[in-house]
Amino acid sequence: MDGNGRWAQRRSLPRTAGHRAAEATVIEIIETARSAGVEWLTLYAFSTENWNRPGTEVDYLMGLVRRVVRKHAPLLLARGVRCRFLGVTDPRIPRELAQDFDDLTTLTDGNRGMTLTVAFDHGGRRDIVEAARSLIRSGRSADEVTEHLFAQHLPYPDTPDVDLVIRTSGEQRISNFMLWKVAYAEWTFPEVLWPDFRAPDFLACLHTYRRRDRRFGSLPPWTNGDSR
Amino acid sequence: MTTDTSRTHTGRPDDEPPLFGPGSQFHAFFDDPRWALAIIRATVLEAAHPQIGAALADNSTFVAHPWRRLRNTLLSMRRMYSGDPAVREREAARLNRLHARMSGEDSRGRPYDAMDRATRAWVVATLFESAVTMCRLSGQPLDQDTMERMYAEYRAYLAALDGDAGELPESLQDFWGYFDRVVEDELENTEAARIILYRLFDHLPAPALLDGAPTLWAAGRAVVGPLLGAITVASLPEPYRRRAGLPEMPGTETLMRGAYLAAGLTRFLPRGWLDAENIIELLTLSPGGDDPRARTATVLRDRMKRASALLRLISPLGGAHGPGPVSGSAHEGRGPAEEFFHQVLDQTGDGHLDWPDLAAMARELSTRLDLEEPEESRLYDAFAAWWRELQDALDTDGDGRVSAAEYSAAVPSLAGPALIRVAEVLFDATDKDGNGTIDADEYRALFRTAFHRDPATTDSAYGRSAFVGDFVSFMSGGRTSSPYDPLFTDA
Repeated sequence: MDGNGRWAQRRSLPRTAGHRAAEATVIEIIETARSAGVEWLTLYAFSTENWNRPGTEVDYLMGLVRRVVRKHAPLLLARGVRCRFLGVTDPRIPRELAQDFDDLTTLTDGNRGMTLTVAFDHGGRRDIVEAARSLIRSGRSADEVTEHLFAQHLPYPDTPDVDLVIRTSGEQRISNFMLWKVAYAEWTFPEVLWPDFRAPDFLACLHTYRRRDRRFGSLPPWTNGDSR
Repeated sequence: MTTDTSRTHTGRPDDEPPLFGPGSQFHAFFDDPRWALAIIRATVLEAAHPQIGAALADNSTFVAHPWRRLRNTLLSMRRMYSGDPAVREREAARLNRLHARMSGEDSRGRPYDAMDRATRAWVVATLFESAVTMCRLSGQPLDQDTMERMYAEYRAYLAALDGDAGELPESLQDFWGYFDRVVEDELENTEAARIILYRLFDHLPAPALLDGAPTLWAAGRAVVGPLLGAITVASLPEPYRRRAGLPEMPGTETLMRGAYLAAGLTRFLPRGWLDAENIIELLTLSPGGDDPRARTATVLRDRMKRASALLRLISPLGGAHGPGPVSGSAHEGRGPAEEFFHQVLDQTGDGHLDWPDLAAMARELSTRLDLEEPEESRLYDAFAAWWRELQDALDTDGDGRVSAAEYSAAVPSLAGPALIRVAEVLFDATDKDGNGTIDADEYRALFRTAFHRDPATTDSAYGRSAFVGDFVSFMSGGRTSSPYDPLFTDA
């Protein structure tokens, strides 16, 4: 969800206005993904590095997220979206916000339509470190550790590997996002800023993804003129 | 002494309804919702007696663990009114042992003793009088014959406990004089009565079933608590209300009568809809147990949790949008040691750890395990030794009791020999067949949950050293572990 600040600057608005405008996109994308048959959607809302932003902006974001969560909770419940939050460990997160996250998780826990994971205060490296800690605590011997076993210790181990990452506003970086799970993800980098990102843009990304040839490191199943 | 007992048991023709067991007047009331109101009223009248009030204030766990207390009381009454004399005698002996351990002084230095015969007669008197009053208030007064029979039942109850019912007047006519005299002359505005009327209902902890829905519980309690208090006050005898300076608020009389009337109307519900024992069992059922009903309870609790989550989410935001952890309540600031102190150690809920707290633990354990002498004394002795050890180690200011601060300052040094002794005695008491391990049934008796050990240890039974180790680390460090947690924390 990149480009809120630039979106506001281009309109000579304060950065906070860009964050506010992002709300509409968030809801529209959740709805579009659900109706397009996406089963797992993850939104990268706030990274562990975002704490370095100016204090007022961080405060504003916390308040905004809280209002958005509360405003749309009944809708998410009614639409069958299971919501959960990835990260959310920093003590700087206001207690009320963490409570709202918990409540929304509890509330929508029984939903099976689509799983929406909001990465909030998330860092891919931190998740890997946490998984390593948990693995060591479980007392397994070094020889036993496999990729599969390691993945069991990551947060939300039921989440499948990421298939497609959409990074808006033309930025082309990973930025510490779900490092373990994006190993074979396809990436798209639409130029449009997040507040302007709409359903057609999202569907275009899905379309691009469908035409990609995912080989997972092996050879393509067949190649023209190659007798193999 | 015993002649009186034998007369009440045998001196009746066979065609009359029995004093105990099914068919008695007591059984007819047992599932009556009015009985709940009447019991609260009777409890206030008991607590208003200076002797009982002092004993309650010192020893009782009803403030911190009211639901557990209610469940135990109900079970005990069921046993006392059972048709089987052996069950009755056993329960009476247990109650007598339990009360024999309670004596002391009240805040004004007057001694109290839970075995005092006159005082025990008063307990039975309040129960009887409240049953009669509940019928009167709900517009279905008892006729003279029923009243006489019921009085005989309650006297028989006292006789079963005390050997004879000599402290209660022989005839019903004399009883009213006795009752009015005690109300007029002996009852006081005791602290225990005030706690029941004003504090208990406002702070009533959620029963195990509703533990996951604190918001919902608090919202309901805020309405029901004061109402129950007002209803109870209005139903107390006028002379006592005057002496204790209880408020007379307009409308409470009507409210009280309405409540009793409404509760009385439930008699038109189909039979079996209201079963006090089932309701209490269900409320105290912690989800996650292996009871078949626990599945229902778990589902119910999940629904409840969701409902309260939704309630919180859709409730409008307060005016203050100020982010940051500001409104940390008293609970938030507590460290794990203090949390453990309040949830497990301070059984009487008075903010201090002293002997009654540990005695309450011993009482709860011997109730769960249904201990008899001499195991029960052994358990109490072990707890008493542990108390001396704690007192020596923790009571730094020498006031004879341990505060939460003193406790959390010294947590690491708590696993002394006396605590290990408690664990060993408890193990022996739990291990009824004495084969050196705790098997599934014994485990269930103690923890009320299914038996499951970590499969990694391969043992199918719970061995002595493992049990002692787990118990000691739970009681000393406050390490939370699933089976031990609900042992003392159940509300």
